[in-house]
Amino acid sequence: MVNDLTFTLVWGLFGWYGAGVVLPLGCRADSRRQNLLAHGCAAFGGMVGIVLGVVGLLASEPWAARSPSTIPLLTFAIRLDPLAAFFVLTISLAGLAASIYAIGYVRHFDGRASIPLLGSLFNGFLCSMTLVILADNGFFFLIVWELMSLLSYFLVVTEHEQAEVRYAGLFYLIMTHVGTAFIIVAFLIFFQGVGSFSFDTFRHPEQPLPEGMKTIAFLTALIGFGTKAGIVPLHVWLPYAHPAAPSHVSALMSGVMIKTAIYGLVRVYFDFLGGQFPWWWGFVVLLVGAVSALLGVMYALMEHDLKSLLAYHSVENIGIILLGIGAGMIFQSFGLKEFAALGLLAGLYHTINHAMFKALLFLGAGSLLYATHTRNMEEYGGLLRRMPWTGLFFLIGAASISALPPTNGFVSEWLVFQSLFLSFQIPDLLMKLMLPIAGAMLALTGVLALACFAKAFGIAFLALPRSSHARHAEEVPMPMRLGMGLLASVCLLLGLLPMVVVPLLDRVVGPFAQISIADQVVALDGWALAPVDVQFASISPPILAAMLIVGALLGLCLAVAFGGHLVKRYGKTWGCGINLSPRTEYTATGFVQPIKQVFSTIYRPTVKLETEFLEESRYFAKRRRFEFHIEPVFQKYLYDPVVMFFSTTADRLRVIQAGSLHLYLAYIFVTLIVLLLFAV
Amino acid sequence: MVKVLVLIVMQTVILLGVAPFIVGLIRKVKARLQCRRGASVFQPYADLVKLFRKQPVVSTTTSWIFTATPYILFASTLLAGLLVPVFVSTIPLSFAGNIIALVYLLGLGTFFLMLAGLDAGSAFGGMGSSREAIVASLTEPAMILSIFAIALTAGSTNLSTIVHKTALLEGIVSDPSPHLMAFAALVIVALAETGRVPVDNPATHLELTMIHEAMILEYSGRYLALVEWAAGLKLLVFLTLIANVSAPWGIATSLEPAALGIGLAAYLAKVSGLAVLIGILESMFAKLRLFRVPELLGVAFILALLGVIFFYVLRG
Amino acid sequence: MPLITPLIGSQLVDLGSALLLLTCFGIVAQRRLSACVDLFAVQSVFLALTATLVAFLTGIHHIYIAAALTVIIKAIVIPRILKRVIERLNVTRELVMNVNVPSGLLICGGLVMLAFFITQPIIPLGFLLTRDSLAIALAIMLIGFFTMIARKKAVTQVIGFLVMENGLFLGASAAAYGMPLIVELGVFFDVLVGAIIIGIYTHRLHDAFDSVDTSKLTILKE
Repeated sequence: MVNDLTFTLVWGLFGWYGAGVVLPLGCRADSRRQNLLAHGCAAFGGMVGIVLGVVGLLASEPWAARSPSTIPLLTFAIRLDPLAAFFVLTISLAGLAASIYAIGYVRHFDGRASIPLLGSLFNGFLCSMTLVILADNGFFFLIVWELMSLLSYFLVVTEHEQAEVRYAGLFYLIMTHVGTAFIIVAFLIFFQGVGSFSFDTFRHPEQPLPEGMKTIAFLTALIGFGTKAGIVPLHVWLPYAHPAAPSHVSALMSGVMIKTAIYGLVRVYFDFLGGQFPWWWGFVVLLVGAVSALLGVMYALMEHDLKSLLAYHSVENIGIILLGIGAGMIFQSFGLKEFAALGLLAGLYHTINHAMFKALLFLGAGSLLYATHTRNMEEYGGLLRRMPWTGLFFLIGAASISALPPTNGFVSEWLVFQSLFLSFQIPDLLMKLMLPIAGAMLALTGVLALACFAKAFGIAFLALPRSSHARHAEEVPMPMRLGMGLLASVCLLLGLLPMVVVPLLDRVVGPFAQISIADQVVALDGWALAPVDVQFASISPPILAAMLIVGALLGLCLAVAFGGHLVKRYGKTWGCGINLSPRTEYTATGFVQPIKQVFSTIYRPTVKLETEFLEESRYFAKRRRFEFHIEPVFQKYLYDPVVMFFSTTADRLRVIQAGSLHLYLAYIFVTLIVLLLFAV
Repeated sequence: MVKVLVLIVMQTVILLGVAPFIVGLIRKVKARLQCRRGASVFQPYADLVKLFRKQPVVSTTTSWIFTATPYILFASTLLAGLLVPVFVSTIPLSFAGNIIALVYLLGLGTFFLMLAGLDAGSAFGGMGSSREAIVASLTEPAMILSIFAIALTAGSTNLSTIVHKTALLEGIVSDPSPHLMAFAALVIVALAETGRVPVDNPATHLELTMIHEAMILEYSGRYLALVEWAAGLKLLVFLTLIANVSAPWGIATSLEPAALGIGLAAYLAKVSGLAVLIGILESMFAKLRLFRVPELLGVAFILALLGVIFFYVLRG
Repeated sequence: MPLITPLIGSQLVDLGSALLLLTCFGIVAQRRLSACVDLFAVQSVFLALTATLVAFLTGIHHIYIAAALTVIIKAIVIPRILKRVIERLNVTRELVMNVNVPSGLLICGGLVMLAFFITQPIIPLGFLLTRDSLAIALAIMLIGFFTMIARKKAVTQVIGFLVMENGLFLGASAAAYGMPLIVELGVFFDVLVGAIIIGIYTHRLHDAFDSVDTSKLTILKE
């Protein structure tokens, strides 16, 4: 019964996405219809995907299907186990919201880009991401992985007439292929052990891999998937590529595409390698996570392009997810199964949460772009009054990403904290000390994220408009609000109902940690979450939310009781006697100035201040020009040398490409001779 | 159920009732140390009532965030207070959030206060928010780590359990060094988080120095009353935390009336003592330059780190 | 039943050593030179108290003498000399450092962890009740050394040197209940003479370069 249902759902899913790929290109209609058709198909695909995900999570047995191909080693095998189902659910939820949003948003590209092509690629992208998750054969996985990368590249360069977009696309293309190369190496290591690309044989090899090979597989998988996920120092492409793409696509890229890498990591470490690894693997993952989280948020603070800022926050959140997974791996290698399950669960919980709020925030940024035609935060301001819905949804997203209680970000970040704090059970002294330090880094990350979103929301939505764009902004159309509203409510639900989410996640984690912790974690009749033991720690998001409302009402009652119903009076903001204008407002640059100064060791800022004085007196400035840059450390010291090396090598190799037809014929001739000699 | 409600209401009343007193007491101590007579310790109550009765003036540039913030701030701070055992060690709401949830609840208030500071559109508010951002971000790691050091000694991050175990001297590793360091770190953190000297000066309205006051500069009437009350409450929450986590002696470990009475008296004595200590500290030190604050909070961080290291290493 | 059981005794010794370490961090964080000197004096008092405790617990009397000497020389005489130097030269604070204060603190935190890891295999081998202090003693020495590198003024470098010496003394009493008395007397004399010499050297430095910044010494090579 369930198998038939799953079968129907899978075909339904691919049917809708397939229709979404073909129909917009095939049918001759006006762009409005094509838009509706493409994104309608994607939305239906998303809905089917959500059902499929839930069914897969609840199913007792994994579901698998395969169809052989004529190419050796390649079988089109798909498999839906709880881990895959969880990621399908995440992708589909974000996909549904982005599709609905796109119906409104894509109008904005009318005349600038081909809408049917955009819609078709969008469907293909969603489909390829789902296939990456479902693939059950290494060869097949690599093909759909490559397809996903290429389709997302095409989407990134939608506005290819702009040079910066082309640069971003190229950068992304190169980085993602470097990553793919490493993944291929990792898979080849598994392949040479078993002689087949089937994931099943990866999982149960006849002879276990030698330790050295395992370690190489670990590292190459970390680098390969890490490039896609955007771990530091492989993160440099994110802040270029994500802002360049259309916003509904950035939402998917930043929200869910980078999560396929998390899926890959969990699949390789916990499934293929069966959770058997030395503790230092976990420590490496933890370290990478902590550094990515901290540097991600720090660079985000200095960004004033809203979409780049969000892209850097993806680096941060991938870091937080890896902190959870890394802690889980460390516990796993010390045989502390309960805690291993908790760490992994915390990481996966943050995965879906981040997918939801990051997609929401990117859609919000898209709405701002739609309404004001700029991504520069310094030109926003006062938008909450003009775009109340967008503002509210963005605020919910900002609260979630800043982990404010009782949102979803808070619950998962809290779980990560708990798994780091349980480190006192580990027998190794170094780990005992390192996990709390990672916790302190997470605390710094969390509060810097809070500062960053206070800046983002405060500068964009509050106070006076800072430009004429902002002054004339209007609320975005209904489908866009609907898409954002959907994600905002999912964010709130994931925060308020962790007791529903945790048992589902437990089904994902259970097989890997070989233990079920749902009964322990969901404590006190489902009212509280307690990582393993109520006496150690617990939270109850619904109670916290209820008490916050009660507290606010109490404040209101006190105000009424003491003061009665006094009517507010309106007046101007005190500006020391001067009329306020947007020029006197605090800017985003000014807001982060103290942070820049305090962490100057990391930012290495260069500040340039030029002053032109009046001719009459040197005490009056006529014009001041202020410029500051932070040093792109990774690009300067890591990437530039590599790029330099390749470009100089390429230059040298140009000698052989002289442009002479005779020379090329000579090359072919020499090659032929050499081959013939070999053949003999 | 009734008992639970009664306990929650009692704790709410005590927290709300004592908070202005603490503020008044610190002011009084400072006045005395400056050879002034100073206002009565009950002056803050009168101030609150007066503010509630004033008609509020709201800036025309602001949005609903500005008027909602006082309520959110008040609610989140009060809720944070309800997670800390005050005069009874086992409190009904402690299951709703442990010590990390408390930190994040205070973060919720800070976030909205920072937004409100930006909302008015004046440079003062923005400056206050910006400075609050850096102070908060430097405080948090030290706070989390010192909390962890304390949690280690009690083997729990649940505040009720920590206080209960410490009060009964149960399961406490009796090595004093980690406890001492975490305590010292927590005091510095409390000074920074609640905007006291040497990090911020609550008595000033000079644009060069103010942080908290700059953010709330546009508030008036009932909004200001709620914000001020919440600020007092936040201070009280920190004092309660320090008093009851590091020295929970006297706290009621059962619900007997006599024990409750002793617990209440001990609580008042402890927080008053800490308030006097803060008054003295504030009179002893000058406010630090903003860019010297990282050094102070660096010390707090290291103290907390040493607390953790000592716990593991000295009896390891 | 003795007044102090070995367990409580060793905890008190730990506490004393912990306080010693704390003052080290105070010195790292403090910019005012006179406050640094005061912190050093306080540290020496803590050292003397810890040593007295060890003497009391073990009944080894010559440690009392060493403790008394510590108070006299390191808590009174040397701080006085240093304060005189500071007053005469009119340098009150250190504004520029080779390593800024928060980074310095973090590095010192790392040094403490390093010290603990290095001594971890040795500590369980010891049987003395002061054995845990060995790690702290090593940490103090490392921090003292670091202070000498991180700071530029000659006075703070002297303090760094003296802190190292304190760490050494603590280490000696932790590892072996102190050195023979004659060695300790010699060390005290050396330290005193060293402090005086460095005081005079600082004066000369000031006369020659009009600064007590030791990085100015690089000029000498030309």
